[in-house]
Formats: sequence, structure tokens, C-alpha cells
Amino acid sequence: MIVKEDCETCKMVAPLLTEFDATVYTQDDPTFPAGVEAIHDADLWVSWHHDIETVPTLIRVVDGREVERTVGWLRSDWQRITGIETLGSDLPPMRPGCGSMSVDPNLVDSLRAKFGGGVLRSRRLELADLDDEMEVLFERGVTDGLPVTPPTEQRVLRMLEGTTRAADEVVAVVAPDLVEVTVEKIAVNSVMAGCLPEHLPWVIAALEAVCTDEFNIHGVLATTMPVGPVLICNGPGTRAIGMNSGVNVFGQGHRANLTIGRAVQLVVRNIGGGRPGEVDRAAHGNPGKVSFCFAEHEVGSPFTSLAVSRGFGADDDTVTVFAGEGPRCIVDQLARDADQLANTFAACLRTAHHPKLVIGFDCMLVVGPEHGRVFAEAGWDRDRLLGELHARLQIHGSELVRGADDMAEGVPDWLAGETLGKFRADGLLLAHAGGGAGLFSAIIGGWANGSTGSKPVTRKVVR
Amino acid sequence: MFVASSQFVDAAIAQSRSLGFPTVARVFTPHPIQDRTDEEMVAYADTALDEIIATLTAT
Amino acid sequence: MTRVLLDPTNERTVLQRSLLPRPVSLQGRTVGLLDISKPRGDVFLDRIEQRLTDLGVKVLRYKKPTFAKPAPVDLRHEIATQCELVIEALAD
Repeated sequence: MIVKEDCETCKMVAPLLTEFDATVYTQDDPTFPAGVEAIHDADLWVSWHHDIETVPTLIRVVDGREVERTVGWLRSDWQRITGIETLGSDLPPMRPGCGSMSVDPNLVDSLRAKFGGGVLRSRRLELADLDDEMEVLFERGVTDGLPVTPPTEQRVLRMLEGTTRAADEVVAVVAPDLVEVTVEKIAVNSVMAGCLPEHLPWVIAALEAVCTDEFNIHGVLATTMPVGPVLICNGPGTRAIGMNSGVNVFGQGHRANLTIGRAVQLVVRNIGGGRPGEVDRAAHGNPGKVSFCFAEHEVGSPFTSLAVSRGFGADDDTVTVFAGEGPRCIVDQLARDADQLANTFAACLRTAHHPKLVIGFDCMLVVGPEHGRVFAEAGWDRDRLLGELHARLQIHGSELVRGADDMAEGVPDWLAGETLGKFRADGLLLAHAGGGAGLFSAIIGGWANGSTGSKPVTRKVVR
Repeated sequence: MFVASSQFVDAAIAQSRSLGFPTVARVFTPHPIQDRTDEEMVAYADTALDEIIATLTAT
Repeated sequence: MTRVLLDPTNERTVLQRSLLPRPVSLQGRTVGLLDISKPRGDVFLDRIEQRLTDLGVKVLRYKKPTFAKPAPVDLRHEIATQCELVIEALAD
């Protein structure tokens, strides 16, 4: 039984201790309870390792193992657990307990570091007294150019509470250095990114997706094209963690969006070794390579979600990763119907990367809610819209061959007589996101598909 | 590179490691310094010069 | 109080800075002498300057405002842009 003197309920039940055999631990005052040989749990080791949240807690132990417990004073529970039918019959039937000292907010972090710290295997960096911890991290080359939250043991342990997975569990193998990344290392980089513990499972899922052969993060890094991983998140969990799917969805301001995307990039850099100017050869890059993560706007969307279209359930939490550049705006404030709007979309999609380059690149179309409404009113669902767009993007080879329109770029000569789609059959992805006011959508140009390129990958988020 | 008196040997090792520069070039003079005459300082400089040049250039 | 951070990297490399390649000789090079402003250091550096100049080295002299703090950014930048090599002295 665990008690503390500074608790009226513990004082109330203290006299009962003479009626049955119990090992009594006192958190604060070793002389309490009177008349009982209590053990002083001064450093709260016992309370911590028995997950005591409330005092008094009464635990029944058989053969050294906990069989049941009750917290606070509930007479029926105490009578059953002790087997004494008349126990406390002169006391009120129930009385709530008090907070255990081992969950005192002032103590929790240091207790976790003291008792949980042994779980952390990362190399420790000791700072000299005069070191500024923010500057040290810049100097060590582990930031993305912005300051990071210093990953102390306490912060990392707190971060690890965000997942039930063990700290030493290997999540993925990260290119280009092909190093195994553990939950712990992801937690360290997530602390640095500024994540909260509830963001950690999303970072883990994103890294599982990014580190697949299909996504090919090595290629995505090594290319001279501007792409980086773009994270599109689905499921009720996105709303639970406050991920933005609306106004300014690609921009700043929402911690979940920015820190989850950032954590993924920090792991790619710090564990995988993917750094600009080294393996990362992007000529221009794009600002999304700091962080590019958003949620699809599912509530009220005219389309099934991206995750559902890729075989997941509407209630599944998922991350889809796509190798993408920065977004480009599609303006159409005048289209009166779905066909007209689709014509605009097709004309804009035609110019993704280059009007004369086809099939080799994938693309993501993000439909804003006001544009989405135009399609909803016409009864166009996801498949219909994509079909209509593909149909409008069948282009005759004579327009596309190298040299046509006096542009050197284009497809080889021998395709001059063919009709080619701008995108391969699965090459156009569709998501619904953005603020509710504004007749705009967006194109996120992709990277090469095919065996040396990248394919979008979706993974479920598991706590 | 830096020149320091022999008092600095251990501190230099620790500090250079923690700054991520464990192999930074260094030459040590005798200690103490502050009460030496001008002639003694010149002699220290003459003694140290060869080692300084060797440290600065590739071998 | 020792502050401890966890290493976010793959721990394969020591988090180290790389050195610039060393020249073969100092002939014709520009060497900066940075006086950290501890007593007697100037006498030491005067002699080094004289000896290096005799060897055909171009010497530039600099001085930290105080030995107690790291060199100011402007001074470091000035040295970095004007010199190929730096000798910093004399710590005791």
C-alpha cells in the first residue's frame, strides 16, 4: 500500500492498517502512519515503478505479482481486496484520494530522467559551462539552418511517451548512409524539430514511408531537381493533434504541420547523412525542404480522401509521402461549371515542369474548397475529376517533340505520330485542402517516376 | 594555429575536442611567461619558430 | 552544472570540423599574427614577425581587445579575408 501523510484520505484509512497485513510505503513522512512500520519511499522509486498516480493505492499481490489494485477509498473494493467484509464499515462508502508525489508536475521530469534515463543509448554531448547550447548545435552541423530545441535527456524521455514502441526498436534504414534509425534517434530529432510527444507517431510513420525502396529517398536527395518529401496526412488523428488543413495550409503557423515535416528532414540529414552540397545536389531546392507537411481537408470534402483512394479506411490515420517541389497556384475565379474549371486545371497541369515533357513526372493537384464545390455541384467525385483531367491531357506527339515550337526540350522524334498522356495512369494525385474563401487550387510538381524515380508511399500511424 | 605555454596542454586537448577540432595545430612554450625579460621572450620565439613553421606547412 | 545533450546523428563520424589543406611552404604567403593581449605576448610576436619577414613571409598583425573573451566576429572576419594562415599567441 502506498500513502502519503499530506492526504486526508490516507489519514482516514490509516487506522485500518492494523486490521490486515500490508507492506506500507510512505511517500513523504516516515512516521506516518502511526503504529505501522512503514517504508519511506523517499526517492519515489517504488511509487514510480508501480505507476502510482493516486494515494492511497492498495495493491493485492500474489506470488510476487500484482493481481488487482484500488485507488482512493472505495469501501467495497477494499473489503474485497483484503477479504475483510466489515473493513471500514464506520467510514463513508467512498472518498477520493490525492495525487501521488510521483506524478507531481514539479517532479515528474526529473523522476523520468532518473528512473527512465537508462533506456537512452545515444551518445551524450557534454557542454562546457560557457557553451551556448543553441550555438553548439549549429556548430555541430545538426540543424537545418534554423535553431533547434536542445535535445536534453528529459525532453527526449518526454518525447518517447508519445509512442508505445520501445526506444531501441529499429524503424527504418536511412539512405544515403544506410544507417538504422531507432525510435530513440527519431525522438531526439523530433525534440530538435519542436515536436510534441503526440507528433512522434506521425514522424515515425512518415520515416517508414520515406525509407522504402519505392520512395527512394536517396534518389530524391541526389537529384539536381528541387524536390523533397511532401507529407500528406489523413485521418481523425490529424484533427486531434491540430494539424492544419485549411487557411494557409502550406504556410507557417501550425506546430503539428511544421514540426512533423521538419523532424523528418532532420532525420534524413542527421541519421541518413543527406546534406545540401554533399549528397543533396538540388540546384535550387525549395522552401518545403525545411518542412512540407499538411492534412487533407476531409470534413465536407467532395472527394474521398487520398488515403481511402489508396486503400486505407476513412478512420485510419495515415501519412502519404510524395516527392514534390514547391506549390504553384491555379487561379480561376470565373469558371461557371465543372467542365470549364477542368479545362483550366488541364491547361495549368500541362505546363508542370515543361509543357513538352510528359509521362516521366508525377504531379499532385490540391483542390481548394471553393473549387471543390464547383465539382461537387456537378456531381463529380474523385475518379470522375481525374478521368476528366487525363482525357484533357492527351497530347499529340507533334506538339511535344524536341524542337517543336523552337523549344529544344521535348520527347524523342519517333513519338511525333503518337498521342501521349501528360501523366501516366497513376501519375496524378489528388488532395483537397486550403481555406474556404478563395477560388484557387495548387499544383505540386513531382519527380521522376519509374524504376530509378520515386513513387508515393502511404503508411499507417501507430501509437 | 595557436601558441600557448606548457600550462595549457591539457586544457587545449579538452577544448579543441569539444569544439570539434581535436587536431588543431598547436605549439607550446615553457611556462611561466609573465615575468620573463624581453631577451627571454625573444629566445622562446626563436626556439618555437621551427616548430611553428613545421606545424603550419604540410609534411 | 554539466549540461548533457543527446547526439542526434548516426554517430558514425565524430562531429568534427575539417581542416584546410596545409601549404608546402610559407614563402610568399600572408600570415596573420593575432595577439590575444596577455602580457609579454607582444614581445614574442614581434620576434616571430621579424623572423618570418626575413624568410620572405608577408606578416599582418592583429590584436584581440581582451584575452578574456573570444575574438570579435569582425576581427575574425578581417583575419579570415586578409590572411592565409594565422598564428595566435600567447596563452599562459
